[in-house]
Amino acid sequence: MNKDALVAAGMDVDGALARLMGSEALLERLLGTFAADGNMAKLEAAQADGDADAALEAAHALKGVCGNLSMTTLFDLSSRACDLFRSGDTAGAFALVPQMRDAYAAMMNAIKA
Amino acid sequence: MDAGAHSQGRVLIVDDEQINRLILENLFVGIYDVDEAVDGQEALDKITAEPEGYVAVLLDVVMPRLDGIEVLRRLAPTGYLQRVPVFLITAERGDAVMEEAYRLGVMDFIGKPIVPYAVIRRVQSVVELFEARKRLSMTVEDQRLQLLERAARIIELNRGMIESLSAAIEFRDGESGDHVRRIHDITKMVLECTRLGDGLTAEDIDDIALASIMHDVGKIAIPDAILCKPGRLTAEEFEVMKSHTVRGAELLERIPQMRSMGAYRYAIDIARHHHERWDGRGYPDGLVGDQISIWAQVVSLADVYDALMSKRVYKDAFPREEALAMIRDGACGVFNPELLDCFFAVEPRINELHDRSVATR
Repeated sequence: MNKDALVAAGMDVDGALARLMGSEALLERLLGTFAADGNMAKLEAAQADGDADAALEAAHALKGVCGNLSMTTLFDLSSRACDLFRSGDTAGAFALVPQMRDAYAAMMNAIKA
Repeated sequence: MDAGAHSQGRVLIVDDEQINRLILENLFVGIYDVDEAVDGQEALDKITAEPEGYVAVLLDVVMPRLDGIEVLRRLAPTGYLQRVPVFLITAERGDAVMEEAYRLGVMDFIGKPIVPYAVIRRVQSVVELFEARKRLSMTVEDQRLQLLERAARIIELNRGMIESLSAAIEFRDGESGDHVRRIHDITKMVLECTRLGDGLTAEDIDDIALASIMHDVGKIAIPDAILCKPGRLTAEEFEVMKSHTVRGAELLERIPQMRSMGAYRYAIDIARHHHERWDGRGYPDGLVGDQISIWAQVVSLADVYDALMSKRVYKDAFPREEALAMIRDGACGVFNPELLDCFFAVEPRINELHDRSVATR
């Protein structure tokens, strides 16, 4: 696990470890699970279909997981997307997806680093 | 997750995201065993399969198939939310979801992203509270049953002592203790099985039957020479013999502990008036008709019937038909016609009781 890379990609690694009672092994495992969970792909697919409900569902799942893993940048973006979807501003929410994709890709690279 | 040696029970974690489940699960290592459900439906299935299986449930709100609120809606009518603390995991606070969840009986909310020590502390406190409450109500129930059992034993002991004392008095004139037991049974049966008992509760009848056992306690004051005399009593001797009614009532009145018993007033009345007769020719007070309480009337007839059917120092037992004819014809004094009707209606069953007690003597 490359802590510096994760921090650079917008993750509060110490915060995440505190939530895991200090277990680096568990954090490694959860990062692996995160890389495989497909919520970002679901969000993009929903955008392609113009399906706001499915998009909210994926954004909400992403928000929950990022929150618990202290992926601050991605958490903030997905929170904003959720709020926009809920307030009916679908276009505004979809407009955040490219930024989310970048943050997500940065995180994936950091996890693999 | 391993069943920890010091595990304080099992917690059900319901969340569709594996990462969230694993984080929560990790918090409870060494405190609780953990079971998981990936959505509301699986959670309901697990709870239904094992209603006593969990000490707490942690429930995510947004899930596929069945969401957290729907789980609460289905659990609420079963009373589960009163027995087991259910926590809702949510990032959204203060919205309509929260209001409905509280109304349905959710224990509390756990905010997302979770704060480890707050979650552990909150869940543990509430689980301990619920367990303590459960233990307390079990202890109270235990104590209630113990008290009931003790009360039943005291009542039984009372009855036993009253029976023994009354039987001891009967022994003096050569009776076994069976006479008082038969009077008890006859009195109880006549009141339970005929209209004579109308208006009396089961408890009243038990009290009267218990009181009937003491009808002859006054005999303790009668000298042996009179009580055990095989031949006819002289007029003077008979007057002394008759005094057992008044002496019995006086004796019972002097036992202060008797006053709190339901049988008390019946016992005094029966002891004094079980030789009164319907036509006013009985003793000691010469009461007429309804002046004699129904319980004293029933016991007088039971006493006469049992005396006729039994062997006494001064006589043999009469055959049943003859005994019944004597009662009907007023050979032992006049009885209330309605009492006679009711008595003859249940006499065959009384006779069976009598036969049995002779057979086992």
